[in-house]
Amino acid sequence: MSLKIIESCVNCFACEPLCPSKAIYEAKPHFLIDAKKCTECVGDFDVPQCASICPIEGAILDALNVPLNPAGSLTGIPPEKMAEAMAELQAH
Amino acid sequence: MELPVLNEKPTQGGCAASSCGSSDDQLNHLSDEIRAKVQNHPCYSEDAHHYFARMHVAVAPACNIQCHYCNRKYDCANESRPGVVSELLTPNQAVKKTMAVAANIPQMTVLGIAGPGDPLANPERTFETFRRLSEEAPDIKLCVSTNGLALPDAVEELSKHNIDHVTITINCVDPKIGAKIYPWIFWKNKRIKGEKAAKILIEQQQKGLEMLVAKGILVKVNSVMIPGVNDKHLAEVSKIVKAKGAFLHNVMPLIAEAEHGTFYGVMGQRGPTALELQELQDDCSGDMNMMRHCRQCRADAVGMLGEDRGDEFTLDKIEDMEIDYQAAMEKRKVIHQAIEVEMNSKRAAKVEVKAEKLGTRPALMAVATSGQGVINVHFGHAKEFLIYEASPEGVRFISHRKVDQYCEGDTSCGDGESVLQRTIRTLEGCEAVLCSKIGYEPWEMLETAGIMPNGEHAMEEIEAAVMLVYNEMAKSGKLDEVKQRATA
Repeated sequence: MSLKIIESCVNCFACEPLCPSKAIYEAKPHFLIDAKKCTECVGDFDVPQCASICPIEGAILDALNVPLNPAGSLTGIPPEKMAEAMAELQAH
Repeated sequence: MELPVLNEKPTQGGCAASSCGSSDDQLNHLSDEIRAKVQNHPCYSEDAHHYFARMHVAVAPACNIQCHYCNRKYDCANESRPGVVSELLTPNQAVKKTMAVAANIPQMTVLGIAGPGDPLANPERTFETFRRLSEEAPDIKLCVSTNGLALPDAVEELSKHNIDHVTITINCVDPKIGAKIYPWIFWKNKRIKGEKAAKILIEQQQKGLEMLVAKGILVKVNSVMIPGVNDKHLAEVSKIVKAKGAFLHNVMPLIAEAEHGTFYGVMGQRGPTALELQELQDDCSGDMNMMRHCRQCRADAVGMLGEDRGDEFTLDKIEDMEIDYQAAMEKRKVIHQAIEVEMNSKRAAKVEVKAEKLGTRPALMAVATSGQGVINVHFGHAKEFLIYEASPEGVRFISHRKVDQYCEGDTSCGDGESVLQRTIRTLEGCEAVLCSKIGYEPWEMLETAGIMPNGEHAMEEIEAAVMLVYNEMAKSGKLDEVKQRATA
């Protein structure tokens, strides 16, 4: 049972001090979670702390590789709207 | 004698008590004690920003809230706006960089921590930097900018480090409006959304403001003007924060472009026009000392407001610099004294130019300057213009307007608008532009756009020159009719 930080992490340090198990560490090119230490905060908090402060959608996955903060859940930007805006920028 | 520069809109039937007499910037409302504290702070004193420089160190990456105008992925070397940085520093690197800049740019008097996240959401990194700088570089003023969520818990620590200025960004006092600006906050180990989140944030901001004022720490309030969201609400915000003791209110325009990837950018929320911003600032100024010269700089900016010399002080460059700070401090002291002498003598030597004709309407003029209070920039080289309003009551500073920064690949972006056309669009609402020199082509285009180019006052003091040009316009009868001010 462990969460995972993937490459979309922007290295903002917000999660690191919150981890009750000290499982999160600074690494290159981005922060990582020590799978042996991570408890998903069970027993310490109702919700995983890293995923509760992370500002980047999709950067933290659960054990089944499902993002805890899916696209649109944090910014409020509907994914199709984001795709549309990005496509338009690419076209230029 | 000094030329009066009015900062309050002249009221009909006599002068408002607050704008009577001579003054040189928005600080004329302040007590002597506050004036003394801010007189060499470029971000707070319109006068000082012509002479002194500031820098930000990016030591605070984490944030505890999300704002719809911010994108935490953003990292760009060419953009100039808050929240953007190129290189994150450790406190140790930040101290080294600050001392290197202080030794090389002696006009740098102020070190701020403003992100790219929230400084108080990174208390260890922020306070370690402040602690060391107050010991090792005691001649540098320290300040910090925050969203306010963690502020009440930080006030005690802030008051220990000789930080006498704090900026709080307050965009609303109504949770319903807040829910449209802040999608979430991280509070007591949970992510909270909607009005509930906004309510907590607003309460923390107001509490923090009150606690800072009680400690005697100067508080400036920043607000981002978001048309259709909080534009009608900010006059009330201004009233409330003034009543609670904030000494300055800085209303800034929303910056939102789709390529920034922010909620407002992607959803097509527009920013205010220069005239909308100015009107709101005028509305608020009845209640508040308004600040109009903010440049919305990056969280790692270095130099005078409006310039960025960060490239000269990257980590690899400061690595090789040997700084003898004691010697630098001696040198800085001499230079600061010389600047003060210059500022005072300029004030004393100001030629009073009076309006020659009464009853004429006010007019906006743009000025190209790189500092020292004089007209000293070629039209084509200006990256920004300072906007002044002249009227029979005097001259007052209104705002700065950046010339649209465009990316290198502009020619392929294909909206067919030349750099010159963009620059002229930036000057919308102005009737004259004063610069040290101007080329033939822009001269013609400006005239066609109804803006009188003027290169006759190079190296002259700004306010006096603006009044001279105003008098010429008045004499020619251009200002007789009351022209409706354009509203967009």
